[in-house]
Amino acid sequence: MIVFQQVSKTYARDLGAQAHTALADVSFSLDKGETLGMIGANGAGKSTAIKLLMDFIRPDSGSIALLGQTPAQHAIRSRVGYLPEIANFPANLTVLDMLRFTGSTCNMEQRNVRTASEKWLRRLGLWDAKKRPLRNYSKGMQQRANFAIALLNDPELLILDEPMSGLDPIGRADILSLITDLKRQGRSILFCSHILEDVDRLVDRVLVLHKGTKLFEGQPNTLAEEQGCPNFVEGYLRLVEEEQQ
Amino acid sequence: MTGALKRIAALARLVVIDGLRRHALLGLILLSVAAQAGALLFFDFIPRDIGRASSDFILSLAWLSGFIFLFFHGVQIIALDEERKVIYSLLARPISRGEYVLGIFSGLAGLLLLLNLLLCGLGFGALMIIKQMVAPAYFNQFNMAPYLLSWFGLVTMELMLLSVILLFSGLVRGSFPVLLISLSFYAICSGLPVVREAVSQRTAREGAQPIVENMLQWMTAVFPNFDRLDFKNMIASSTSLPDLLLILLNFGLTISYVGLFLWLACLVYQRRDLQ
Repeated sequence: MIVFQQVSKTYARDLGAQAHTALADVSFSLDKGETLGMIGANGAGKSTAIKLLMDFIRPDSGSIALLGQTPAQHAIRSRVGYLPEIANFPANLTVLDMLRFTGSTCNMEQRNVRTASEKWLRRLGLWDAKKRPLRNYSKGMQQRANFAIALLNDPELLILDEPMSGLDPIGRADILSLITDLKRQGRSILFCSHILEDVDRLVDRVLVLHKGTKLFEGQPNTLAEEQGCPNFVEGYLRLVEEEQQ
Repeated sequence: MTGALKRIAALARLVVIDGLRRHALLGLILLSVAAQAGALLFFDFIPRDIGRASSDFILSLAWLSGFIFLFFHGVQIIALDEERKVIYSLLARPISRGEYVLGIFSGLAGLLLLLNLLLCGLGFGALMIIKQMVAPAYFNQFNMAPYLLSWFGLVTMELMLLSVILLFSGLVRGSFPVLLISLSFYAICSGLPVVREAVSQRTAREGAQPIVENMLQWMTAVFPNFDRLDFKNMIASSTSLPDLLLILLNFGLTISYVGLFLWLACLVYQRRDLQ
């Protein structure tokens, strides 16, 4: 599903600032039906990796394959569902406008767009607010709207950037159960999160990034064992601590 | 409809819907309509040549409305899409960056067209009322062809500025620099014919200045002369229209500029990082 091979990315120098290496020779992969959690502190390179996968930015070196093609081939994004960390929509649109746009660009029939929209809006508790402008949504509602948009085209691969961001505990539990359902259906999921307990609960494998380099890729319990810790969270913290020393 | 056209139309529709629900834009439309209606009061203050002055007033107001739309709504939509990362939500769909540029352009062009159609109809009504209210000596003829040609010229100039804004939005980060650079482009386009005229007068007095003249000529290729699409002075006068071939050439050239700027904008967007 995803093959990231020795990818490096340096952000160009801005006025008064130095060039910044966001990723250095990072490689990882995601197989079909697998869930990979990408974790790391702020500035670890998680968002850069996701932007590279979505072709928002291009790598300086290395290669990226997404569903067997390069991310630059925009047609493959009809098989991908992307959830950005911060949902930003044109201010005056409704979730229905965005769903229609998604359906049109993914070449879905209008009937299917209507059915899928209703299904996901009801599932995510947005059906009654479907005609309200997105600017009037709370942060949690915007996140759920983004989920509905990401899932409309029944994607094979889901790329979720901080899916729990801005959600209250009930909303978070609901999204956790949704991701668990999607995982059970055999979707491939790449997601990054700061909430390590969620990562531990959901993922098959974990990728630890730190200051643009890969520190670990494997099963969470392997990380705990390698670090001699009772659980994954402590194992991760020790790994990062060792690296900083 | 091919896939690419369908995707461009879907994005254009989104831009049109967003624009039509934007209070600032609705306010601009209402203000423009009110100002057009103001032509009915304005003509009362003109002692002579009422037809020419009224049509000039109506077309200039429409230009101002389009100008405000382009520089305050257009720039905001394009540059803020990137600043606020709206572009990520749009490009996460199977839409190429070239289609993104063309979709945004088509949507904004659609809104501009709607605004101009409304003002063109209202302006026509206002001019007809004025013509009936004054003596023939003050407004003796109304020429439909120059009137329509004036609006067509206005829309073509606005579309060219829109394509320029799109190009600069790809080249420069931030809505304020885009606004400044686009305004500068417009200012140079408007000022260049005046400079060329001044230089030619000086040449007539003091002899040829080939370097300056050549430089100004080449600059005209980059900063086209908008006056060539301005026909508003012919709406109420007996001046005949320029040769049809010349009109077609001027419109053709401007439309080619729109195509060129859009092509460059697509190229820039396709190559750059969206940070």
